Amino acid sequence: MIEIVLAVVFLPFVGAALAPAVYRLLGERTAYYAAGVAAVCLALVTRLYTAGVGLDGGTRYAVDWVPALEVSLALYVDGLALLIAFLASGVGVLVLVYSGGYMHGEPGQSKYYATMLAFMGSMLGVALAGDLFALFTFWELTSLSSFLLIGHYTSADDSQYAARKSMLITVAGGLFMLAGFLLLAWAGGTTLIAGGDDSLVATAGPTIETLRSVGLFVPALLLVGVGAATKSAQVPFHVWLPNAMEAPTPVSAFLHSATMVKAGVYLIGRFRPFFLGAEGGGAHGGGAAGSRGSGAAAGTGGEGAAGEAAGEAAAAAASLLPEWSVVFVTLGLATMTVAAVLAVAATDIKELLAYSTASHLGLITAGFGAANALGAETGAFHILNHASFKAALFLVAGIVAHEAGTRRIENLRGLRHDLPVTAVIAALASLSMAGIPPFNGFYSKELLFEATYELGHELGGTAWLFPVVAVVGSVFTFLYSIKFLSLFLGDRPDGLGHVHRPPVSMLAPPAVLGIVVLAVSAVPNTAIDLLVGSVYDSTVPGAAHGFSIPFPPSKLKPAVIMSAITIGVGAVAWPQYDRLHHGIRRVLAGPVRANWWYDNGVDGLTSGGRDVGEWVQTGLVRTYAAWTIGATSLLALGGYVVGEVGLPALSVPPGMTPAIVLVLLVAVVGAVAVTAAPSHVAGVLTLSILGFMVAIFYILADAPDLALTQLVVETLVLVLFLLVLNRLPAYYGQPSPGRALRDGALATLAGATVFLTVVLSTSATPSEPLSGVLVERANLPPGEHASVFTNYGGGSNVVNVILVDLRAADTLGEISVVAMAALAVLTLIRMRTRGDTR
Amino acid sequence: MSDETESNRPAATAGPTDETEQTVNTSTGRVGPAFDHRTTVIARTVVRVVVPVVVVTALALLFQGHNRPGGGFIGAVLTATAAVLVYVIFGLEYLQSHLLGIDSSPNEPHAPTGWYRWLFAGGLALAAGSGMFPLLAGLPFLTQGVAFVHGLPIYGELEVASALAFDLGVYGTVVGGLLTVVAEVGEE
Repeated sequence: MIEIVLAVVFLPFVGAALAPAVYRLLGERTAYYAAGVAAVCLALVTRLYTAGVGLDGGTRYAVDWVPALEVSLALYVDGLALLIAFLASGVGVLVLVYSGGYMHGEPGQSKYYATMLAFMGSMLGVALAGDLFALFTFWELTSLSSFLLIGHYTSADDSQYAARKSMLITVAGGLFMLAGFLLLAWAGGTTLIAGGDDSLVATAGPTIETLRSVGLFVPALLLVGVGAATKSAQVPFHVWLPNAMEAPTPVSAFLHSATMVKAGVYLIGRFRPFFLGAEGGGAHGGGAAGSRGSGAAAGTGGEGAAGEAAGEAAAAAASLLPEWSVVFVTLGLATMTVAAVLAVAATDIKELLAYSTASHLGLITAGFGAANALGAETGAFHILNHASFKAALFLVAGIVAHEAGTRRIENLRGLRHDLPVTAVIAALASLSMAGIPPFNGFYSKELLFEATYELGHELGGTAWLFPVVAVVGSVFTFLYSIKFLSLFLGDRPDGLGHVHRPPVSMLAPPAVLGIVVLAVSAVPNTAIDLLVGSVYDSTVPGAAHGFSIPFPPSKLKPAVIMSAITIGVGAVAWPQYDRLHHGIRRVLAGPVRANWWYDNGVDGLTSGGRDVGEWVQTGLVRTYAAWTIGATSLLALGGYVVGEVGLPALSVPPGMTPAIVLVLLVAVVGAVAVTAAPSHVAGVLTLSILGFMVAIFYILADAPDLALTQLVVETLVLVLFLLVLNRLPAYYGQPSPGRALRDGALATLAGATVFLTVVLSTSATPSEPLSGVLVERANLPPGEHASVFTNYGGGSNVVNVILVDLRAADTLGEISVVAMAALAVLTLIRMRTRGDTR
Repeated sequence: MSDETESNRPAATAGPTDETEQTVNTSTGRVGPAFDHRTTVIARTVVRVVVPVVVVTALALLFQGHNRPGGGFIGAVLTATAAVLVYVIFGLEYLQSHLLGIDSSPNEPHAPTGWYRWLFAGGLALAAGSGMFPLLAGLPFLTQGVAFVHGLPIYGELEVASALAFDLGVYGTVVGGLLTVVAEVGEE
């Protein structure tokens, strides 16, 4: 089976690599090639499903990836993974077929199909990842491919803005998630997510204890939460999703409704059993005692939870509630309501659908957030339901935009006359989105109502806000769903031009999704038995079992009343839709909009970054030199202080003759004279006095090689100096006292460092001098010898034998530096006129 | 030391850039090598005599380095000094086109540097490459060997050290590198 699992993930990438070549052969029919690749993936996923892999508990497969770091490419198959994989490959097939019609005559198709396939592979990778690092890698790959697809129209400004926005938000969120993963990996001692006895989920109890003991449980939860919230466009990170609608509509249907944005809720579902694992009560839910017990544990362990909730009452509620629920139910319900309100304010059909997507993702998040069985059921079921009706609606929106030539809501009405089949699909899907019985959206919304009611009932107090907010959000959901449907009702407006019939390749995919909506609506319990039940299993800790939905409800449950209120209030408010629409738009100005914060934040960072850059990179070599010299000196001195190096006793070394003393004195005089030199040239000439005195010192100290080198180098450097000095101004002006003081201090510091280093390093002579060994090894052994030697240097000049034989590698390094320096001079001087200059 | 004072004076009094430019301008109507007219006859004569001596000395230092003071690096720097002497007294143009025989046409003004570049690249390759040979014999990288050749006419017995190849590499790299720097900086 491992071959199949690997093939599912990597086949799309191979397909993506081949796409440009295929495009040359097939042209626009590449759409069907890409759909074929997706279909093979779908078949492989189906094969996994029919083989029963992961349906009863997950199965993990692992291939070594970075053995040195004990990172393996672990893939994990369970219900949740299979559902997301089905969505990615199944919706992938439909959307790629649809692209064949939609993308007709569009630019950049070869890139488009390659990126779509690469995205599908990344999404399948996210779904099947069993290892934190594999998950993170595929996660970021989805962000990357989303960036490319949103920016498909590379020359459009809106498109660039939208692509950058989504990239910034989702990738930044991914980095938060990575930090969270590192905490989990540290605490759990493993990077495996689920399955087996050694994974994070299996060892949730001790791992969470470790995290709590250092106070990092809530940070880890929040970090992973930020990752999920940015990807799933949860408030306040929802701002990127409406802009992402700049992408071609198939991309919106695929990435920004059915799959990529599901990665966030997938992450929540994936880590739900881990974060609720230690609670013990979450598995079978319902039981208030279980949740209360766990709540008490949470209260003692995580003070951070209190900080999360606003106000004392909320803090009191938090002490009874696992942090998990506080974070995700609040996040989810806030998103559900805010995004639904924004959807009512939308003027563009894709914008409406985008906000609606965020809203429904909020519903799923809230469902997974609720620490009871109903919550998990909500999340698991709504992932499927939302993907089916929302992808269908996006494809419908694509048809409308493509055939009617406009996406403005106010210009569109009575489309059923021109697009009858599309109208039927739209009706099915939008009634399901509105949560009207007996469509599938209704069932999962019922589950959410029940879950929130349960929470309110269990916790009391402010927790009663949960069901109320859920109902308010649903009222707005009802309103915008009916608005979308109303595009097809009524009479054709005069302004609407001729509307074409869509080609079959564009009509069939939404029709298939419409049939899925119908099928799930007709037999919800079959869908649950087939797949959703095991999705539910993978999102609850411990052993679990499937669930079923009673329909029609046998008794009047609170959730049924909540649904009735939703539909009733919605129906009453419907005539006031335009007033609501305009009212919300009036309120949306300035800091109320999350976009305002994003735009100002990005602008601030851009200009701030530029300022910092200009402050740090002055372009003045003397600034860099000052910092480099100062830092080097301080680090060296700091090292001596930390290492507690004692100063050796200074004494006159043996072998000091009057001649040596005289030469050194002249050198000192030369050095002092440099400071008094009237010009650069005179300064350099005086400096060379110092150099030649050192050379003479070497001669007197019996070091002919050093003396020779010093002499020749000194001569050459002098000439080079004189060549360069000619280019410098003769007079720099009087430095200010402050600068003179600063430069003097820096020079003193550098001089002191060098002096100390020399004293310290020369005093650290080993007890047995190395020179003996080297001298012995340099020359040939005395007496009779063979004609070839490789273990002796074979020369009587020990200095050179060291250079070219005993330590030849050092010399090789040094001449490499010489070559590099020559190259650098060549580049800097010759090419400085090329390229940008400031 | 006497070379020193010779070489300092003209550079100290006037910029080499001006000189070379002037050389190019005035040389068009002249026959024979173009050189700086501000250098004295004495300086030019001394350099003519000294430079061959310096070069031979440099080579001697290079070859005797294994057993006596000298070596690749010193030899290379001395060779470069000889070139710089010619450059300071006679100008860059003379050094490159008349002495080294490299023509730098107007559309290829950096032809000499191209040669120097090959010199230091080749030197580096020789040094590193000579270190590769021991690998064939299963010895560590950069193992050097010594062999004795007997029965040569003048020398009798000669010690041949493989380190000489390495030293030649060092020599080439340093000469090439220094000449590159001199040519590039001097042309400024």
